[in-house]
Amino acid sequence: MKILTKRAFGLLLLALILLLGLSVFTFRYVKDARAWAQYPTNKHLFQNGQLLTTGEIQDRNGEVLYRAEQGVQSYHSSDTVRKALMHTTGDSYGNVATSVQVAFGDRLSGWGPVNGAYRFNDKSFGTDVTLTLDAELCAEAFQALKGRKGAVGVYNYKTGEILCMVSSPSFDPEHHPDVAANPEKYDGAYLNRLISAAYTPGSIFKLVTAAAAIDKMPDYDSKVFHCEGEKLIDGDKVTCPSPHGEVTLKQALAVSCNIAFAEISLELGGQTIQSYAEKAGFNANLEVDGIKAARGKISTADAKGGDLAWAGIGQYNDTANPLTFMAYMGSIANQGVRVNPWFIDQNSSLLKLLPDFGVKKKRILTRETAETLKTLMRNNVTEEYGEKNYKELELCAKSGTAEVGGDKAPHAWFAGFMNREDCPLAFVVIVENGGSGSKVAGAVAAKVLKAAEKKLTSD
Amino acid sequence: MDNFIDSVGNLTESTASILGNIPAWLGSILAWLGNVPVWFGDMKASVEGYLADPIEFVEFYTFVVRWIFPVLTSIIFVRCIMPLLQGGVSSRIWGFLEIKGGYRIAVRHWENSIGRSKLSDIVINLPFVSRSHAVLSYGEGGWHITDLESTGGVLVNGEKVERTGCVQIGDTISLSGADFLFLPGDENCESLKKESRFDWLLKLGQGFTSGKTLLMILMFQFFGSVQLCLSINEEWAGKAAYTFSIYMLSECVYYFLLKKFTKKYIELELLIYFLCGMNLFVVAAAAPGQLYKQLAAILLGLVSYSIIQILIKDPGLGRKLKYALVACSVVLIILNLTLGEARFGARNWINLGFITIQPMEFVKVAFVLAGTATLDKLLTTRNLTAFIGFSGACIGALILMRDLGTSVIFFVTFLVVAFMRSGDIRTIALISSGAALGAFAVVSFLPYIASRFQAWGHVWQYADTIGFQQTRTLIAAASGGLIGLGGGNGYLVGIAASDTDLVFGILSEEWGFLIAMIVVLIVVFLAFLALYLMRDCKSSFYAISACGAASIFIIQTILNVFGSLDLLPLTGVTLPFVSNGGSSMVVCWALLAFIKASDERVRPGFSGAGAAAACDEDSDNGYSDPINPVDLNVAKRNDARTLTNLFQRKGKGNAAFPGSSAAESRYDDRDEFERWFDEETAKQNGDGSGGKGGAEE
Repeated sequence: MKILTKRAFGLLLLALILLLGLSVFTFRYVKDARAWAQYPTNKHLFQNGQLLTTGEIQDRNGEVLYRAEQGVQSYHSSDTVRKALMHTTGDSYGNVATSVQVAFGDRLSGWGPVNGAYRFNDKSFGTDVTLTLDAELCAEAFQALKGRKGAVGVYNYKTGEILCMVSSPSFDPEHHPDVAANPEKYDGAYLNRLISAAYTPGSIFKLVTAAAAIDKMPDYDSKVFHCEGEKLIDGDKVTCPSPHGEVTLKQALAVSCNIAFAEISLELGGQTIQSYAEKAGFNANLEVDGIKAARGKISTADAKGGDLAWAGIGQYNDTANPLTFMAYMGSIANQGVRVNPWFIDQNSSLLKLLPDFGVKKKRILTRETAETLKTLMRNNVTEEYGEKNYKELELCAKSGTAEVGGDKAPHAWFAGFMNREDCPLAFVVIVENGGSGSKVAGAVAAKVLKAAEKKLTSD
Repeated sequence: MDNFIDSVGNLTESTASILGNIPAWLGSILAWLGNVPVWFGDMKASVEGYLADPIEFVEFYTFVVRWIFPVLTSIIFVRCIMPLLQGGVSSRIWGFLEIKGGYRIAVRHWENSIGRSKLSDIVINLPFVSRSHAVLSYGEGGWHITDLESTGGVLVNGEKVERTGCVQIGDTISLSGADFLFLPGDENCESLKKESRFDWLLKLGQGFTSGKTLLMILMFQFFGSVQLCLSINEEWAGKAAYTFSIYMLSECVYYFLLKKFTKKYIELELLIYFLCGMNLFVVAAAAPGQLYKQLAAILLGLVSYSIIQILIKDPGLGRKLKYALVACSVVLIILNLTLGEARFGARNWINLGFITIQPMEFVKVAFVLAGTATLDKLLTTRNLTAFIGFSGACIGALILMRDLGTSVIFFVTFLVVAFMRSGDIRTIALISSGAALGAFAVVSFLPYIASRFQAWGHVWQYADTIGFQQTRTLIAAASGGLIGLGGGNGYLVGIAASDTDLVFGILSEEWGFLIAMIVVLIVVFLAFLALYLMRDCKSSFYAISACGAASIFIIQTILNVFGSLDLLPLTGVTLPFVSNGGSSMVVCWALLAFIKASDERVRPGFSGAGAAAACDEDSDNGYSDPINPVDLNVAKRNDARTLTNLFQRKGKGNAAFPGSSAAESRYDDRDEFERWFDEETAKQNGDGSGGKGGAEE
């Protein structure tokens, strides 16, 4: 029998394969079961592809933005709010991947790992999801975009709460339009541009180059750059709209002198630019409540000459994700520490008991560098963008007008923060093909920030 | 250098990405945990909301019992497997081989290989003994010795044995000149316990009585059937209640029959009771119209299980059964090929007018038997032609029937059994590479099967087309959570073949992930049990048939469960004992008989005073033991030879034999060589068990 026992390993192998397969399945189950349950044909949770019964999605003031009761979906009463928050609530058919209905469908519908999709007496164990967003502020921002494509984000750089998250174009989820039939009007309407898009950053990228310059150029304060309107670098022409003459770093940032920043980039080298960009969040996916934001890209490590010069001023092949860049603004405002943005309030979870749990903090600039950048950005507003446009906001900002090639108008960027203890807000505005950054995007930012300031101070 | 840096960079990057994923996994687990208090909090907050509408009794019932089921199942599982692993390795000793000098080697099986090889059952470490020298076997009323074409030859009482010869108690067997006296075993059902590191664990199971376990199973099935009767359509509820009652009653009756008439452990049957109970629950939810048929199949299975056990109690009879069944199978295969009907793409059904059956299911029993062989045949003729021929015929017929799943079952079982028989990797490699090529051809020829391979691993891409069944199973599994939604509350039952191919999905949706897992673990346990029992099988007939049966169970489970969960292509085979299907159920019981037959142990209730009775009982049943107790006593008297003293001394001292000068002086006529031979033999046969048998009296 001994010899047979030895030869029976075939059976042992089969049994081990079965055990191994079970472990693989268990692993997948732990990892993916919540996604499987959220498949719209699951009759336990969905009816005709729409959530059957859910808790409510509420904004920070308790406004009900969405709920489903026995397959009947209801949204906010104001159509502007519905449109402004469509990307956050979702569109009932699960088209917006980063929406609460999709990403937090399990919590809304009451699916849990132990209970599964169990419903007691036809009532689910779905719970409410409270957002940190302010519905009115979002509506304000959506209106300020005036139907242009783009995104607006505002967040508290001390706590990480996102107050405003708007993406355009949008539509009314209560009267779902035929998106496919209007590709021009609803171009990328299912995309939350703040989270899921990446654009050429243009001049706002100079804030990254400037941070590198402050750290790595001992004479950054005194060095003078000469701008004659254009300059040839290894055969590539770098241009400014008009000659700026002799400028310091401070002035160069304020007037957004390309030639000065091209020279800085060449002096610092591609490696340094890339490492500072990566500190600022480029080449990585920022996570917002577990939702991965798009990745802004930078690759200057091997770039030389004209490519490097253009890369240092936010052109070349640079791309930036608006949300990630907003978080970079927050880090400058918060003495170099980036507080990760979030918008789902963990109000009834145990996690709340742990102070700051889930709020990720990361120092990405030294305190001194952040302070220096802050004064430079403040100078931008007072000297160039006009303090009267941003009265009492204590605004620190940088505009960007990103050339996108062809005969299309440039993307208009405006990013920065309010340097106020009672209103610690960082923001980003992008208007696709909007034109001048400070004029177009700056106007949107002014409107939204004034509304936000009023809300925060009136409480 | 750059290359080197690059490669290091890549390495660190990939490591970083793996490490980077860990927080993400932890994060998702934390998020899961985070959800628990969320719904607890919510439940508390809105209890009024849940109670506002009028609530039916079944809602309350499900709310409570769904928590009880997994707990009860876990307890049942542990209570069943612990006793089955009890007793360590305990087996009877059928006789002894005594070498000159009084040292005795236990004959533990009905078939024992003797030789120099470490893999022999009786190791004789003498250079002139062949590696596999002879086989000492019991059958047809007496002991035989078979010469395995050894160089030195075999003599019984001085006469040369040509191939096979009879051996009587008291005969002298001579292997290449080394003499052994063949002595009878002990009259008691001797159980030798090997010390094991896991003894403490196994001891925990000693208090588990099978009666209480049965009671728990009945409790589970009672609560479960009430749950189902309340949840399913009212017109079926009565029928279901009736079916469940008969089933539970038959469980009890069969249990008491076993308790009264057999000496073996009953937990194996209890485990299968549990599986069949799950089978009825699945059928009641998915196809209540077939409940009576399924109940009849279970009862028929029990009958065939008992009959086969009786038939193969004597391996000689088992061998005759083998030829009869193989002949029947050939007829069945031919009938199937000529009269077969196609269902779900495979033409493997025969309609007998009043009932449809799957003949290939029954062929499995013959297939397992066809693989068996006695140890002497196994060690002399490595000829697998007959077995290969029969397997080839079965698999070829299955390919003609387009039944890919079943042909894989036969093929893998063939590999397991063929290797047990030949031990030759090259033969197996040749056969499997040929078969792999054949399978490749089959797959590419039949677009019907190819599409299943196309969906494999990408079911979510084809979620509503060719991945439909798998994605629905995964959705169902996720919807059930750990503890399930309650029997009869699932939606998967609405999908075609859900009660056969996707039965794991129904189990996890309605009964929860935990119970579904335990159901599969029970099948895994059957394989480990077969392997565990094999070491002490009295005949290779039982060892091979048990392994063959367990292989069929395991490979079917792998194909069924993994097919529905997208770990393998979906092939449409049944999950043993759980899937709906009459032929499958009867055959599973029949196959289980082979595993049961390899269990030689006596359950605790029969040990001690009962042990002798158990032996007597065997004789009463008209089944004669190799050693007749009367012969034994005679032999004992005649063969006193003061062995007892010697072994008592050895048992205490456990020194190298022969240790003391007293012993040596008694046997001082022995030369150095023989002493060395004794020591080596004692070592090779391990743990001194050869001597202890006598010493412990």
